[in-house]
Amino acid sequence: MTAEGGVQYSKIAEIKGPLVVVDDVENAAFDELVEIETTEGERRLGKVLEVGNGKAIVQVFEGTTGLSISGTKAKFVGKVMEMPVSKEVLGRVFDGLGKPKDGLPDPIADKFVDINGEPMNPEQREYPKDFIQTGVSVIDGLMTLVRGQKLPIFSGSGMSHNLLAAQIARQASVVGTQDDFAVVFAAIGVQYSEAEYFRRSLEESGALKRSVLFLNTADDPAIERIITPRVALTVAEYLAFDLGMHVLVVITDMTNYAEALREISAAREEVPGRKGYPGYLYTDLSTLYERAGKLNGRKGSVTQVPILSMPSDDITHPIPDLTGYITEGQIVVGRDLFRQGVYPPINILMSLSRLMKDGIGEGSTREDHSEVSNQVYDAYSRAQEVRALAGIVGKAGLTEIDLKYMDVGDTFEKEFLSQATDENRTIEETLALMWKIVSKLPKNEITKIKDKYVEQYYKEE
Amino acid sequence: MGQLHPLASNSALESTIDKILKNTEQDILASIKSGLDDSQQNLDDAIPKLEGEYDKIISDGKKEADKIEKQIIGSADIQARNQQLMALEEAVDKVFTKALDQIANTDRSGDYSNLIKTLIEEATQILGTTEISISTNAKDKDIVQSALSQFSGAELSSETIECLGGIKVKSKDGAMTFDNTIDARIERLKPLIRKDIAAKFGVGN
Repeated sequence: MTAEGGVQYSKIAEIKGPLVVVDDVENAAFDELVEIETTEGERRLGKVLEVGNGKAIVQVFEGTTGLSISGTKAKFVGKVMEMPVSKEVLGRVFDGLGKPKDGLPDPIADKFVDINGEPMNPEQREYPKDFIQTGVSVIDGLMTLVRGQKLPIFSGSGMSHNLLAAQIARQASVVGTQDDFAVVFAAIGVQYSEAEYFRRSLEESGALKRSVLFLNTADDPAIERIITPRVALTVAEYLAFDLGMHVLVVITDMTNYAEALREISAAREEVPGRKGYPGYLYTDLSTLYERAGKLNGRKGSVTQVPILSMPSDDITHPIPDLTGYITEGQIVVGRDLFRQGVYPPINILMSLSRLMKDGIGEGSTREDHSEVSNQVYDAYSRAQEVRALAGIVGKAGLTEIDLKYMDVGDTFEKEFLSQATDENRTIEETLALMWKIVSKLPKNEITKIKDKYVEQYYKEE
Repeated sequence: MGQLHPLASNSALESTIDKILKNTEQDILASIKSGLDDSQQNLDDAIPKLEGEYDKIISDGKKEADKIEKQIIGSADIQARNQQLMALEEAVDKVFTKALDQIANTDRSGDYSNLIKTLIEEATQILGTTEISISTNAKDKDIVQSALSQFSGAELSSETIECLGGIKVKSKDGAMTFDNTIDARIERLKPLIRKDIAAKFGVGN
């Protein structure tokens, strides 16, 4: 940071959607921060998207409503957008641009960091293999989250993904270590009531002191949503790699982010890709998701749980589709379970954590975790088949073993999957519930677990 | 006369009654014993269940207590931290106000004219032209006027601006403006200055 400022230009050639075209500009740089001053003296922030032929295209984060060609001024600040970071950001609530929203002053910065982050050197990346306990049985037991992983939640409109996001943010912890743990929560384009729920929920549970909240509400300008995940990840990287903390970043809802990207792309008259999203959606998403990870020789880690709502529950929609290529698995929220009133309504058959195998077992969770999880998965899958069959032939047409599987399916949904929003289950409790489900099967049906574990944990009813 | 029924004699009757009573007694005793055994078995079976329930209640209670403890401590920590932040900010503001007062009343003689020259030089370099109009406050007007001879094409605006010191430069076509007032420079460096002031109070070291 220097004392020299930037030049202010007053020739605005055009205002188009969220973009302002400034004329006769010299020495502007790509991504440079721009301060737009309205005729009333109001200041808004923006960044340079394109420079050339004496023109600069500026994307205004706070929107262009109320701006006019005459009287509007654009000041090119001479630096990219930066986020002031320090340990003091913990327990604070910011808006989508990183300005305080809790009535407290700006945090005293330890340093100012470019919000675009620096790409992680692939050579320096450490393979993620340490367990994070979310306290949600279905996640910890069947799609375990590990430190440094990026595991998205694919949900649909109106479903309980935000409840789940808040529960994970409140309960998540690292077990078996004294390392510091923090949660960075970024809400993008959420309703005011939801933003309040997130804030209150963390405050009342006492988890706010180890959390940082970035709240961009639905009535904030859409373009601000481009910045929100970036400022959140910048803070997360600082906490992780400068202060050595294990940081869980929960971002909801990435669909709103992608829609803001589409809005800018349309205003720039770019050739649209699938469903009107820009052709670089994949690249853009990767610049966010790839900021998760662990580095060799550094203590901390950044783990990401981005949440996205699939339009029309369509998993082939470009946003979940492209997200799935980048991330390491997915947790799918199921509409059928949601309608049945199950919480969290996670469809385990469509969900997967690709890094789970390295984060569980002896020394992490328990030696039988992998096998009991395979058996539960298999049993629930079979229960679903039996339910489908019962829909055709009726319950009377089922064999005794089919009925046992149906019972397993019911127990799974009622006792294991269903969980109160304030119920924080330890991994031991989760594993005990998984064994309770497995114990409903006769021993000869248990094909995925070693005999020694069956002898130790199986409890016939 | 016919033969008498065997029960017609008293002893036979008593013996039969005794037999029935004995059998009934045995049945009742067996039934009581079986009931006792069942009850004992039920009690034995119930003990581990009760112990399990007891452990669950204790563990749930402990969990709930831990949760409430975390809530209370977390919320107290946040409140204390917020009050500390507000107090610090107030102190930093006081330091700022005092410093700005001192800057506003700085003696304009000596090095101050060199500072003005440097500020004009910096502004012309950034704007890329010396065809500029310079605005300043009433106090610095004469100093700026005397420095203008070194910048051909530069002129002093007749209008003064409100600032602590320094200059504001505009290209003559009005398209570009560069604010090089002391106020603007302080504003740009404010986050760093705040950090330094806070460090003096022992925060962020």
